[in-house]
Amino acid sequence: MNAPTLEVTRVTKRFGTGATEVVAVRDVSLAVAPGEIVLIMGPSGSGKTTLLLMLGALLRPTAGDIRLDGLELSALPEGRLPDVRLRRFGFVFQDFNLLSALPALDNVAIVAELAGLPRRAALARARTLLTELGLGARLGSLPEQLSGGEKQRVAIARALANDPTFILADEPTANLDSRIGHEIMRLLRTVAKEQGRSIVIVSHDERIKDIADRVLWLEDGEFKRSTEMATDPVCGMRVAGPSGLTADWDGERFSFCSRGCRAEFLAAPYRFFPDSAASGPHERALREAVRLEAASPGMHG
Amino acid sequence: MLRFALRNLLQSPARLVMSVGGVALAFMLVLSLDAIFLGIERQLGAYIEGSGADVFVAQSGVRNMHMASSSLGRAVVDRVAAVDGVAEAAPLAYVSTAVVQDDRQYLGYVIGLPRGARLGRPASAAEGRADVGPGEVVIDGRVADAISVGEDVTILGRSFRVVGVSRGYGSVFNSFAFVPLEAFAAYGSDAVSYVLVRAAPGTDAAALAARIEAEVPDVTATLRGEFARQEIRVIADMATDVILIMNTIGFVIGLAVMALTVYTATLARRAEYGVLKALGARTARLCRAVIAQAVATVALGLLAGIAFTLAVAWIVPRTDVQLSLALDAAAVVKAAVFAVAITALAAVLPILRIARIDPAVVFRRRIA
Repeated sequence: MNAPTLEVTRVTKRFGTGATEVVAVRDVSLAVAPGEIVLIMGPSGSGKTTLLLMLGALLRPTAGDIRLDGLELSALPEGRLPDVRLRRFGFVFQDFNLLSALPALDNVAIVAELAGLPRRAALARARTLLTELGLGARLGSLPEQLSGGEKQRVAIARALANDPTFILADEPTANLDSRIGHEIMRLLRTVAKEQGRSIVIVSHDERIKDIADRVLWLEDGEFKRSTEMATDPVCGMRVAGPSGLTADWDGERFSFCSRGCRAEFLAAPYRFFPDSAASGPHERALREAVRLEAASPGMHG
Repeated sequence: MLRFALRNLLQSPARLVMSVGGVALAFMLVLSLDAIFLGIERQLGAYIEGSGADVFVAQSGVRNMHMASSSLGRAVVDRVAAVDGVAEAAPLAYVSTAVVQDDRQYLGYVIGLPRGARLGRPASAAEGRADVGPGEVVIDGRVADAISVGEDVTILGRSFRVVGVSRGYGSVFNSFAFVPLEAFAAYGSDAVSYVLVRAAPGTDAAALAARIEAEVPDVTATLRGEFARQEIRVIADMATDVILIMNTIGFVIGLAVMALTVYTATLARRAEYGVLKALGARTARLCRAVIAQAVATVALGLLAGIAFTLAVAWIVPRTDVQLSLALDAAAVVKAAVFAVAITALAAVLPILRIARIDPAVVFRRRIA
């Protein structure tokens, strides 16, 4: 295995003190290899965004350390962090966050310029990236003139403008319809696999699992090992695995979010696994449950 | 980043126009006031500069006309005329009083000149004639807007027939009425106020003034240019407080408009500044963008303000208003200094705001 691009070792983040203290991330460790796509999922308030902020040098951990290609981010002085973000990270946001006054070309070029490229070279790089992402005809378009998918492609081009080793994506498909969402996922996978960039995605979107090399479940600020997670075959909700509410059927153990779902399942389990070749939600849930049950642990090292 | 700043400005043309317009009006207020006072100053010295005299001789210690009183015996005129280097010496009587017609009064300088005088006479006669005989007066254009040739006016309680209208010497602060020197004698005074001296060709005027003071007792001889400057200074000093107040008002208006503009523009973009910070842009670079926007707006406002003022300076003299505006480099430099100060002050709050933006909030989708 390649040396990890990013290593997170026993990172904790606390907000507030005393009675108001909240532990957003608790003793989390993670290693991301070059070209790897890691998807972090979890319920709202689980600490996903806090972890993403710490990975992107936007927030300092209370304890533990984060190393990017050997550079200890958590030990760097505040004044050096913008440079680290500018030269080592690419960011993709849920709301695209393009600069509304600038056309697509300048939205991408501005990052390259900030990173130190002369204007002409920055424009050339922006033009190349946008053209590669299929936006060659939209270089002069303002964000308001672009569709959601086009905006996110511009955002991906912007994330690549500074040639980063690491891309952080926050809900990159949340504001996109299914078709465009898939297109963006495919793009991100191409970026990772063909260009060797590591990508960490924080998302609620189950579809992204299809492109992820690894799926991690963060809950209450801690990674649950993937083998401990399962999908309720009745409602499709992600739930704690065999240690929670379970039922056995047809030689397999299933996990449920509630006694109601468990009772519904036990009343007629076959209803949730129709023989039809169509991919209904319950069949998908079953397949997902089986796949995750069989998956390897979520943490390297 | 400069492109980002300028694009931000141009993205809301209406806001840009209002901002530039507001700043332009503030500068126009400052520049117009300066132009008005400069125009008045030039007018104040116009009579003295156009008098044809090289040296003004007055009672000892008197160096101007406005709010001054000078009294010289008639014999002084002859003694001055006898000084070596004097080509011509002419008496001039002067009093600051009102030209009255019916219930209307026009304050101004009443100048008494000997018949046929070549020094100190009206600039030119726009109507009628410039020479006055007994019982006659030539008034300047400012008064003439209400009084016509052939009408009668009262000066110092005596009636005079208007025989001519002159142009070029009156201002909003003073008008001129030229009467025969003998009219002053009728008030029981044989004295004159000033002796206007023309130097002989090849004579140094400064040396001549010194000789006059040396040879004629109890007089002050002042070169024409200095006499005009003193005249202007007396009135300009009176107007200094007014100018200061109006300049301050203009400055505050400009500052308020700019501060509001730059601050609201920055607030409207705070999410984007947060994004740029998250991407790695340093606060200093973002501050430069804010300053660039402020500089561009103020610069456009200054240019527009200058253009507006020049337009006003062109239009006003073509109306009934007896006012001439003069915009000089000093006024523009002062406005430019104002502009720099306004820019700097207007950018302070937005810069503080940007410095406080936490880039992490970009991921929380809400920026306070």
